[in-house]
Amino acid sequence: MLSHRSIRLCRLCNRVIYNSSAGRGWRTRHDAPRRYCHRDAGDLHNNEKVQRFLLQVMEEYGHLGRKLQHARLGESERKELHRRQAELLPVASVFQSVRAALEELEEVVSFLHGKVGPREEDEQMAQLLKEEEAQISHRIKSLRKDLIQALVPSDPHDSSNVLLEVLSGRTTGGDICQQFSSEMFDLYQGYAGYKNWDFEVFNYTPAEYGGLHHAAVRIAGENVYRHLKHEGGTHRVQRIPEVGLSSRMQRIHTGTMTVVVLPQPLEFDVSIDPKDLRIDTFRSRGAGGQSVNTTDSAVRIVHLPTGTTAECQQSRSQLQNRETAMRVLRARLYQSIMGKETAQRHTARKQQVGTRSQSERIRTYNFSQDRVTDHRTGYVTRDIKEFMRGGEALDDLISNLLEHGDRETLLELVESSSILKGPESGAGFSD
Amino acid sequence: MKHSLTSLFFLEGGCGSRAAHTCSVPVLPAASITALEALDLWKRHFEERGVAEPDLSSQSIMAHLLGAKTIESLEQGRLSESLSRDKAEQMWELCTRRLSRMPVQYVIEEWDFRDLTLKMRPPVFIPRPETEELVELVLTDLQTTPETRAGAGAQRTCLEVGCGSGAISLSLLKSLPQIKAIALDQSQDAVDLTRENAFSLGLQDRLQIHHIDVMKDADAVVSLCDPVAALVSNPPYLFSEDMASLEPEILRFEDHAALDGGDDGLKVIRQILTLAPKILLNHGRVYLEVDPRHPPLIQQWVEAHVEELRYVRTQHDITGRPRFCILQKEK
Repeated sequence: MLSHRSIRLCRLCNRVIYNSSAGRGWRTRHDAPRRYCHRDAGDLHNNEKVQRFLLQVMEEYGHLGRKLQHARLGESERKELHRRQAELLPVASVFQSVRAALEELEEVVSFLHGKVGPREEDEQMAQLLKEEEAQISHRIKSLRKDLIQALVPSDPHDSSNVLLEVLSGRTTGGDICQQFSSEMFDLYQGYAGYKNWDFEVFNYTPAEYGGLHHAAVRIAGENVYRHLKHEGGTHRVQRIPEVGLSSRMQRIHTGTMTVVVLPQPLEFDVSIDPKDLRIDTFRSRGAGGQSVNTTDSAVRIVHLPTGTTAECQQSRSQLQNRETAMRVLRARLYQSIMGKETAQRHTARKQQVGTRSQSERIRTYNFSQDRVTDHRTGYVTRDIKEFMRGGEALDDLISNLLEHGDRETLLELVESSSILKGPESGAGFSD
Repeated sequence: MKHSLTSLFFLEGGCGSRAAHTCSVPVLPAASITALEALDLWKRHFEERGVAEPDLSSQSIMAHLLGAKTIESLEQGRLSESLSRDKAEQMWELCTRRLSRMPVQYVIEEWDFRDLTLKMRPPVFIPRPETEELVELVLTDLQTTPETRAGAGAQRTCLEVGCGSGAISLSLLKSLPQIKAIALDQSQDAVDLTRENAFSLGLQDRLQIHHIDVMKDADAVVSLCDPVAALVSNPPYLFSEDMASLEPEILRFEDHAALDGGDDGLKVIRQILTLAPKILLNHGRVYLEVDPRHPPLIQQWVEAHVEELRYVRTQHDITGRPRFCILQKEK
C-alpha cells in the first residue's frame, strides 16, 4: 500500500506523512530529515546541467580571482568584479570544502586497501579507517546539500515581513466559506505563534452568522515572506457540515477562500505623495470639529493615481486607524510595483510553485476524509485537526514547498544559463 | 454619586415630555440570548427611537462589555456565545442610558485618543479626532528642534489652556518623556478628570493641573510658571448662534463652556493670543485648533493687535479643512 502511494505522489521526494491523532502538544519527529531528503540533493547534484553550471560558476570564480590580482582595472570595473566575487564566494567555499573532503577520502581509502593483513593491529587500524571513511562520506553528502543550497538564487523579499489577507469565498446557501476562512485565520495565527512571529491584526470583519468575512494581519519576524509566499492563492475545503440545514442532507460540501500574501516594504521603499491621497472619514461629511461627536473612527484611504484603496476600523482612535490603513496601502502599492518587476524576470520555464492563476486551487482541506493535499507538489498529510493548529504539520508542508520552489528556481537558472552558454564538456563530480 | 445623579436627571429629562408608554425600554428576555441577538435587538430599538449611529452605538457598548475596544477586535465566536445574566443586564443598563442620547463615550465611561485610553465623564468635553492631529503637529515641532527653543539642557514645558479630560497634555507627556506640562481649565470637573487620567497613566509627576479661567484671571496664568516652550489649546470655537443646532449628544451632556466661543467663535482665542507673548519663551509657539473660517481672521487680528506674535502658518486636517493655526513669539 505504501509503494502505491509513493507512485501516486511526488516522484522525487516521498513525503507521505502519517500524523497520529494523538492530539495535544507539538509532536516532534526525528525520523524524517527537515530540509532536503538526501535523495533530493544527491539527485540534483548528479543532474548533468547542474554539474555543468557548477563548473561554470567555479571557472568564473577562478577567472575573477586571477583578473583582480593581475589585470589593470578601472575603479568601477574593480568594484563590479569584487561584488561578483562576493556573490560567488558561498558556492566557491563549499565547493572547495567538498574537493578537500574528497581528497581526504581518497587518502583514507588508499590506506585501507593497502593495510589489509591478518594481524590484530591491522584489523583495529582497518576498523578505524572504515569509521573515518564513513564520517568523511557523510560529510561530503552534507556539503553537497549545502552546495546546492548555495547555488539557489535567493528572493530579495525573503526576509521581509508580510501583510496577509484572508478572504472568504462565496457559495450559494450555508456559511461553509466563512467558517473555513475563520479556521484559516486561526491556522496562520497558530503558525505565527509556532514560529515566534509577531501577529498584528489590522482588520477583522466577521460574517453575519459566525465565521469570517475578511481579515488582514501583519506578520513580522525572521524570513516571514519566505515561509508564507506560497500560501497565496485559493484554498478549498470539503466537509460535511456539522450544523445547519445542509448537515441533514449529509452531502459533502465544498467551499473556497483566498489567501493573499504581500511582502511589507520598509517605509522608504514606497514613496507616497500626500497630495495623491484622498482620506475618507465620517468627518469628511458635515462640519467636523467640536460641533460633532461620533464613535465612527473608520478611515479609508484612496491612492488617486492608481485607485488602490485601504481601510481600517480596528481601533477607536481615528489616527491609529489611519496609520494602519497607510501601512496596508503601502504594502498594496509595493505589490503592484513588484508585480511588474516579477513579470520582467520571467524566463521560459515557469516555476511550478507560485505561478498558478488565482482561480486554480493550490490546496484542498478535506475534513470528511481527514486529509490535506497541496496540488502543486502532491504533498498529502493527515490528521487535519492537528494540521489546522498551525504547528509542525504546516511547517513540514511549507518546508516541502520551499524545497520544490528552490529546486525549480535552480533548474530554471541552470537551464537558462546553458541556453546562453551552449553545451560544454565538463567532467562530472559524482561518485 | 454626582455622575449617577446626572445620568438620572438626563434620563428623566429625555422622557419627561413624552407620554409614559412611548418611553418603554425593550424587556430583557427571560431566556438567555447571544451577544449577536442583543446587538440586533438594541440596534433596531435605537433606530426606532431615532438615536444616532444605532449600530455603532450598540457595537461599541457590547465590545466594551466583552472586554474589547471594538467589535472587530473580538475573537470570532464570542458574538455567537450566550450572554451571562450579568452581562445581559449590564448591556440593558448601558443601552438604556444611550437611549437618552448620552454619548457612547460617557455610557462606557472611556474612550481612546491616539495611543491612550482615557476616562470620560459628563460634562467634561469628549476629545475629537481632529485634536489627535493637533498633538501630531506639536510633536513634530518639538521632536525636530530639540534645544533651540528652551536653551540647552533646560527641560521644556508645554502649557495647555482648556485641558478637558487631559487628552492633549497627557499625549504629549506620553510621547516625549523629557517634557513637563501645565494644564488649565475653568471647570473643576475637567481638572478632576485630568488628574484622574494622569494618575491612571502614571504621568502625574510631570503634570501640574490648575483650576483657572483664562478669561477672568489672565494674570494668574502668567505667575504660574517660567516661560514655556509651547502653548497648546483646543479652545471653545463654535459660534454662539450655532450652539442651538447641535445634536442632543452634545447639547444635553457636554459642558457648553467648552464649546461656545462667542459671537464670532473667537472670544477665548483672542484672550489666549493676547496672553501668549507673556508666557512664551522667545521663539516659542502657539498651536490652536479652530473653526475652518477662523485662520484668515486670526491672522489679521494678530497683525493688528499682538505685536510680538507672528503668524507662521495654517495647517489643514485630513478632511482638507483649515483647522490648525501656528504662531510664534518674536521679540
